[in-house]
Amino acid sequence: MGILAAFRELDATVDAIEDLKKQKITDITVYTPTPRHEIEEAVHPPTSPVRKFTLIGGVSGVCFGYWIAIWSSDYWPLVVGGKPVASWVPYTIIGFEVMVLVGALSTVAGMFINSRIPKITMTVGFDPRFTHGDFGIWVPAEPDKVRAVEETMRRHGAVEVRHER
Amino acid sequence: MTQPSGSAGVKRRDFLKVLGAAGAATTTVGCFQEDVEKLIPYLVSPDDTVPGVSTYYATTCRECAAGCGVIAETRDGRAIKLEGNPAHPVNQGALCARGQASLQGLYNPDRYREPMVRRNGRLERISWDDATRMLHDRIAGLGAGAANALFINQHETGSFPAFLDQWLAGYNMPAHIAYDGEAPHAVLQANRQTYGVAWPALDFTAARLIVSVGADFLDTWGASVPQQLAFADARAKLADAPRFVYIGPRRSLTGLNADEWIACKPGSELAIVNALAGRGGSIADAATASGVDQAVLQQLANEISATKPSLVLSGVTTTNALDVALAVNALNQAAGNVGVTIKPAEALVSFDRAGTPNELRDAVQRMASGAVPLAMFRGVNPVHVLPKSLRVAEAIGKVPFKVSFSSYPDETSELCDLILPDDHPLESWGDAESVRGSISLQQPAMDRVFKTRATADVLIGVTKGDPATASRYPVADYRNWLIGRFPGGAAALGTALARGIASGSSLQSTAAPRTAPAAPTAAPLEGQQGDMYLVVYPSPVLGDGRGGNKPWLQELPDPVSKIAWQSWIEIHPATAARLGIHNGDHVKVDTAAGSVTAPAFIYLGVRPDVVGIATGRGHTAYGRYAQNIGVNALDALPVAHDTAGGLALTSVKARVSKAAEFSPLVTTEGSARQHGRGIAQALTVAELNAPPAAEEHHFAGDKDHEFLPGLRSPVANDAQGVLGNPKSKDKGMYDPEHWSGMAKRRWAMTVDLARCTGCSACVTACYAENNIPTVGAPWQGRSLRPFHSSDGSGWDTRPGANILKGREMAWIRIERYFEGGEDGSPDFDTRFVPMLCQHCGNAPCEPVCPVYATYHSPDGLNVQVYNRCVGTRYCSNGCPYKVRYFNWHGYGEPARRQYAFPEPLNWQLNPDVTVRGKGVMEKCTFCVQRIREAEHRAKLENREVAPDEFTTACAQACPSRAITFGDAADENWSVARLAEDRRAYHVFEELNTFTAVVYLKKVNHPAGGAR
Amino acid sequence: MATTTARPPAVKEPATRPNVASANVQLPGVRDYEQVDTEISATLKPTAGWFGALGLAIAMFLWGAGAWTYQIYWGLGNAGYNPPVMWGVYIISFVFWVGIGHAGTLISAILYLFRAGFRTTIYRCAEAMTVFAVMTAGLFPIIHIGRPWKFFWLIPYPNWRLIWPNFKSPLVWDVFAISTYLTVSSTFLYVGLVPDIAVLRDRETNPIRKRILAVLSLGWRNSEREWRHFARMYLFLAAFSTPLVLSVHSVVSFDFAMAITPGWHTTIFPPYFVAGAIFSGIGMVFTIIIPIRKFFKLQHYVTINHLDAAAKLCLTTSLIVGSAYIIEFWIAWYSGNAVEQQYFINRVFGQWWWAAWIMLTCNMIFPLSLFSQKLRRNPAWLFILSIFINLGMWFERFVIIVPSLSHEFEPWQWSGYVPSWVDTSILVGSFGWFFMWFLLFIKQLPVIAIAEVKEIVPPKLRTAHPHADHVDTSGRHQEYEPDTPGEFA
Repeated sequence: MGILAAFRELDATVDAIEDLKKQKITDITVYTPTPRHEIEEAVHPPTSPVRKFTLIGGVSGVCFGYWIAIWSSDYWPLVVGGKPVASWVPYTIIGFEVMVLVGALSTVAGMFINSRIPKITMTVGFDPRFTHGDFGIWVPAEPDKVRAVEETMRRHGAVEVRHER
Repeated sequence: MTQPSGSAGVKRRDFLKVLGAAGAATTTVGCFQEDVEKLIPYLVSPDDTVPGVSTYYATTCRECAAGCGVIAETRDGRAIKLEGNPAHPVNQGALCARGQASLQGLYNPDRYREPMVRRNGRLERISWDDATRMLHDRIAGLGAGAANALFINQHETGSFPAFLDQWLAGYNMPAHIAYDGEAPHAVLQANRQTYGVAWPALDFTAARLIVSVGADFLDTWGASVPQQLAFADARAKLADAPRFVYIGPRRSLTGLNADEWIACKPGSELAIVNALAGRGGSIADAATASGVDQAVLQQLANEISATKPSLVLSGVTTTNALDVALAVNALNQAAGNVGVTIKPAEALVSFDRAGTPNELRDAVQRMASGAVPLAMFRGVNPVHVLPKSLRVAEAIGKVPFKVSFSSYPDETSELCDLILPDDHPLESWGDAESVRGSISLQQPAMDRVFKTRATADVLIGVTKGDPATASRYPVADYRNWLIGRFPGGAAALGTALARGIASGSSLQSTAAPRTAPAAPTAAPLEGQQGDMYLVVYPSPVLGDGRGGNKPWLQELPDPVSKIAWQSWIEIHPATAARLGIHNGDHVKVDTAAGSVTAPAFIYLGVRPDVVGIATGRGHTAYGRYAQNIGVNALDALPVAHDTAGGLALTSVKARVSKAAEFSPLVTTEGSARQHGRGIAQALTVAELNAPPAAEEHHFAGDKDHEFLPGLRSPVANDAQGVLGNPKSKDKGMYDPEHWSGMAKRRWAMTVDLARCTGCSACVTACYAENNIPTVGAPWQGRSLRPFHSSDGSGWDTRPGANILKGREMAWIRIERYFEGGEDGSPDFDTRFVPMLCQHCGNAPCEPVCPVYATYHSPDGLNVQVYNRCVGTRYCSNGCPYKVRYFNWHGYGEPARRQYAFPEPLNWQLNPDVTVRGKGVMEKCTFCVQRIREAEHRAKLENREVAPDEFTTACAQACPSRAITFGDAADENWSVARLAEDRRAYHVFEELNTFTAVVYLKKVNHPAGGAR
Repeated sequence: MATTTARPPAVKEPATRPNVASANVQLPGVRDYEQVDTEISATLKPTAGWFGALGLAIAMFLWGAGAWTYQIYWGLGNAGYNPPVMWGVYIISFVFWVGIGHAGTLISAILYLFRAGFRTTIYRCAEAMTVFAVMTAGLFPIIHIGRPWKFFWLIPYPNWRLIWPNFKSPLVWDVFAISTYLTVSSTFLYVGLVPDIAVLRDRETNPIRKRILAVLSLGWRNSEREWRHFARMYLFLAAFSTPLVLSVHSVVSFDFAMAITPGWHTTIFPPYFVAGAIFSGIGMVFTIIIPIRKFFKLQHYVTINHLDAAAKLCLTTSLIVGSAYIIEFWIAWYSGNAVEQQYFINRVFGQWWWAAWIMLTCNMIFPLSLFSQKLRRNPAWLFILSIFINLGMWFERFVIIVPSLSHEFEPWQWSGYVPSWVDTSILVGSFGWFFMWFLLFIKQLPVIAIAEVKEIVPPKLRTAHPHADHVDTSGRHQEYEPDTPGEFA
């Protein structure tokens, strides 16, 4: 259970976030119709780990690309046009393309995993208006904290504050 | 003693019988509901044939009178390939394109299936018994008219003519007419007068100078194959080779092989020869008469007198041909060539009994007069081979009963009342004699394709059918008749058949020597009109038209014009410019006798006042491949004869005008110029004698070099990396020590351009060996619009439509490049280059193939794997030699209109070679099937492949022995030796493709050259 | 479905043209987030004209498909091939479509990395175009080969025959490059769409469509966490796509450069092809975006300034391509290689002069008009020019392929080439196929990236604020830093 507040204004949202943080309330989910730098600064999240996925995907991709080309050439050696049976130079293209393919796909996978999607069912603490024009803050709060949070939200000009349970 | 049990009922045994029969019946019915296809001709093969293993029969080629010996390769009872018989004195193993294509006469889909009789205009089937009886009754009914009956037979040597005359005599019929339209009758006549023999042996190798006065001894004049062999041997003497001068209004294939062409006015040859021979007429007069520069003639005269021995040949077809021939003989005698280069003692007897067109004309006139009650034709097609102005068809129409023994629905048999289709030579017995004292035997290579019957057997049947005459032939059939006359009888024949040649002379024992016909006074050319000359010449490929129904020959580009599936009119560039004519514009040629219209082919090799047309096309019948293809040159030819009875083909005046139509030339020629790319290279004698420059003998590959691809190093070195490294142990099958031993060999080929005459026999041989589809037939064209009607409209039905799109499939092609003569002068050099897959050591086609459909085999072949090919055609883009061919249509799919092997042509297909499917790339394989066969044979006999043990189809057929194939890695193969020749070069060497085909430069003998 | 909007407010172009080729792009006509949603979703309402266009496209596609069926049955011979011209309209069109497919990724990836703000409103269109163009291009090699039913042999897969493709063959490189490019660019398109689909989902009233959109949007909620990972992912996808887009057309150019054919065997091909590809891509973007902004009433999103900036890019690539042409000729002369020289003379002044001059006029000469600012800011002219560019670039590929093959080393085998009704039908069909997909796309999904446009739109503010230094009240776009600077390395 918690409090869901909707804001019309960006600065109001930012103020609310910072106020909540002053109250040592850290479990905050902010909704914004479009990524805003201000909000990110206010929330101060850790750096996204997606890049690790990218690195691992890319490296394994390039290895597989070279391996399949070289292994299959040596597996059944045939001479074509006087080239070495396993000619690594042209195989660089294979390595590169497979690197991009696997790297890109694992990057997307990383994004999915980290941002917990796909999420088919609509959980509590969301309102369609957040994809429209409004900013939103969702704070899961115990009953004793509810009043304080709600009060904070209103003080910063939330157009609507909703108790979700 | 058993009692019938249950007499009322059915006996158990009977019941079982019925049951069995019923069962059999049902199963049989079951079988016959879908049409049964025979996979092999035999269900139970005779003891002497092994399925999948070839049987070879030595027999004789009857395509022309020369009578070359051939060996017919049969597989499971079907002849699949003809090759020259190496033991034969005439052709010594070589065979021309027409001989090769004789197979397509055997399997021609338009052959008469059985005897036919014409009832109220339509041909109806008839049994052989009825047919024979019908012929017998007719003959019996002739009575006194028998004296006027006619039997016109193709000229052939051997016993049959004698047998025929004998048979005719039995019915009081006159001796038959042995027609030979291609034989140079004037020359025969002159030789008889001068030397007492019709055809003295010609020794080209002994000559130091060859002068041909219109004698096309490389295409149709005389026995072309042996002449080619001799000429090529002479040219192979390089610096000592004879210089060759050609005199005539048109530069034929023979003329293109000459070092010098003296382009004289048609009919002026006599003046020239007389002047040269010093028998009346000065050089100056000759020069004015012939339109040739006097200096040229003077120089030739000096050369003839200076060069001994020489060889002067005549082959003109003008009204005064006999005089020319006599003059030439006199010239030879004066020059002391008789007995040296011209050997009457070793005469060729092929043409001894050749009948002239004049005799045929007389026969036609007799028919026209209505005096002839019965006319029989065998192997002759007068309607097509005589000038239209003779109205042959009309004349034949006047004969009450006409019999044709032709196997094909040609123009003449279309007029006949009774068709008694003859066996093909490959189906029947016979003999031939070309060289005095040796019989060339002809035996059936296979069972009959259709219900045909050998004419001789039909005639015997006629005689035996009548008790009154049955006693004339005690023998069962013609075969036994032959055995009866054969020296030594059946046993001797049996042994002789193995070689296909026997000593002894059948002719002398049976035939009276031919008496020269009363020489007719030359029929002059009346009403000559026009400022140009019409020069008609027999096609070196189709002959007088007999070849027209064989797709291989229709598809084979003319060696001179490189045009297929089409008639053309050769016209000089200057004349063309004057008349505003470009290649393909239709040209109308009018003579007193008629006119002919065909697309123009602008050709340096005719005089500006001459147009040239080949015979052979323009059939109005003769089957699907011949009908309505091109025009017949004889339509415009007046009937005129020289005093020996030969048709006058070259001295006809004509008016030449541009016609409205245009049809693109069905040519395989892109550009006739090399643009300095050194594809066909040549040396002059002077350069040849000069000491070789250090860098001249530059040759791809080199033994000592560590990594260098090419013929001089093992195949493994063709690849960089592991294989190219001599120290590496891991070369797999590319290691000469590999158990397969493939890498020990390196297959290569040399092509000697000094020998090659451009005759194109190799091309047809390749078609035959490798199941190459012909693509030029009118119904094989491509679609022109989305919607077709059933009549085939909407398709490109022009003859050669696919070739117009450059889609001919010839794995080996003869490129014909001109050097010089850009100004239209007759002084130009012609280079013939057989171009085939070069099997590069560094093949540009290989690495680009995404599926390894082409790769470099351990024995140096550039392999093409049809089953793996997906048809990206990238390999062709890579290939600088453009020798890869793509299957654009389902040429091998019977369901498609482009099908190239309509039943029974598909019987000829070589079982060792795949018929390629639609959408795959194909190319020359160096006859890999022959390589493997030889290797397997060697393995079975537990030995190595012997040097020069086998060769490719093209090399085998080549009548000038220009092509040599073998293992370049083994010094004992002649190819390895030839590849070291100082004339050797690779085409496009600068591309570093390291080809396995080595060309040896042509050697030219310019006027006043080193002597 | 959102209600249709009134006419967009009349937009007064600023008198002095701002520096549009930078990140600072203004959308004066767009006031707030809600307007973006409403106006963009309004474009999704099907119209009669759209149905007409779609019908035409499908008809063209079916005609082409019929022609292909016909060709498979009767053989490739019914196409215009004239050996040695073994490659024709199909490979030309393959290269043409791959080239088209380069603009999208260029705009969405490279311009993203370069922070070129004018990409924001056109990149969605360009990406969709890319995906469908590559889909079209991918068909042509299959149409082209002799045995299309064996096409899968080019793909390395374990098989009992133990045969693998030849990785040395440029065609196998193609298989890898094209399939990678198709996968990555469609992924790029899709992930970019996810937030916008979420927007549609929440505006949607029809329950079924709402459900479908919910699935497609993967439950995207616009949460700050999602945005953060999204941004990082987008950055790396862009970083991957940039070399990819350059590699793909280089690989395509290897198809030619690896063969020793005169006119093909040159090292300039990769850069030359990439520039040409981008050039043709921009051309196609104009062909598509100009009608869309007109018919969808999006002039205040895709402003004249956007077109102007894109036109500059077009001009640049045109100049690169033009100089590549000139360098080709110069090299042919300078190499002293007679075969090469004869080929180029035949290309420009001989047999193929007409094709060569169509190419030179359309790709070198007409685009020079873009030096004029007036014309750069004239949508009508840009549209006409883009048609010429498409034509010119198709003929560039014609000129590269056909004249080379028809005039190679072996004079005996020189030939000509005329396409047949089958080639042309299939070419027409390919346009039908492409536009069929594109038309379906633009009525199902937003052609303007809603979320990214919202970045440019000034957010609502209550008062001046301690954060005023970031919060830009002028409405100018506040550049979105996905992460603290210096982390790209």
